[in-house]
Amino acid sequence: MTPDQEPPQYAVARLRRALAEDPRTAEQGVRVDLRGEQVYLSGDVASEERKHRLDEVVHDIAANLKVHNDVHVVEAQAPVGREELR
Amino acid sequence: MIRIAAVGDVHLAPDASGHLRPALEELGDCADLLLLAGDLTKHGTVEEAEVVAREFGGLAVPVVAVLGNHDHHSDLGDELSTVLSDAGITVLEGNGIVLDVNDTKVGVAGVKGFGGGFAGKCASAFGEQEMKAFVNHTVEVSDQLGKALDGLDADVRVALTHYAPVKETLRGEPLEIYPFLGSYLLAEAIDKARADIAFHGHAHAGTEHGMTAGGVRVRNVAQPVIRSAYKVYSLEPAELERAVG
Repeated sequence: MTPDQEPPQYAVARLRRALAEDPRTAEQGVRVDLRGEQVYLSGDVASEERKHRLDEVVHDIAANLKVHNDVHVVEAQAPVGREELR
Repeated sequence: MIRIAAVGDVHLAPDASGHLRPALEELGDCADLLLLAGDLTKHGTVEEAEVVAREFGGLAVPVVAVLGNHDHHSDLGDELSTVLSDAGITVLEGNGIVLDVNDTKVGVAGVKGFGGGFAGKCASAFGEQEMKAFVNHTVEVSDQLGKALDGLDADVRVALTHYAPVKETLRGEPLEIYPFLGSYLLAEAIDKARADIAFHGHAHAGTEHGMTAGGVRVRNVAQPVIRSAYKVYSLEPAELERAVG
């Protein structure tokens, strides 16, 4: 069964599991939203390279979907200030 | 005053090697110790642990870590701990360490933790072997955390886990996955031992601030939540005692 034949709920579940379980991505914190043949990815990853790998995995599973990758690369700079716990 | 830096879920691998190091080089100026709240690697391989060791080894402050679920993905938890220990990083799993910080004894008890859910809406050790094993693992590691906290002879006692002890720091995550993000049993152990503060990671879409039912402050320091290489929390031991009551 191809993604365009299956209910969108199953397609989303399959894509989310693939992003978590595929060794290329292993991302559990990426959200997948499907609107027709457009898939929107959001969440955070540690590098630009990892963000691009999400596209690869989605494409391998559902080449018919147009991917909108809104995933954010998490900041790695030193923090400003600190929290005082009283 | 004690300044605790903390971060979790850095998910390092060769492709992200060196990303955090520039920020970490400044750590000695703003913190007295660094806590790592698990998911230090992506797939839990020795090669990735070596990246973690280079990133967090040889810093100006002591580094204390727990492992997370990603760090167990390749079933090499012990090997990862050895690589990190060789780099001078203390890896806790059901035990604790006491550090001398500016003449104050800071105790850290750490455990990975596990899921199961939160009071009133949690899994029970009943039925299939798989279900009992799931819940019993949480019971076991929570018990270890409580005992490790009790065993700390320290002025300030800190609980460090990967999984969340409270649901308040999960706000932003889908409700349906809360049982996979943490367990109230961890908070119960933290409260019974009257810890001063608790740090965890795991919930990337969660919230930084929370509190246990017993009034212990909880901080979710997953890197996507704190949006920096680490966060620094400063504690005044005498005043913390009053806050917890």
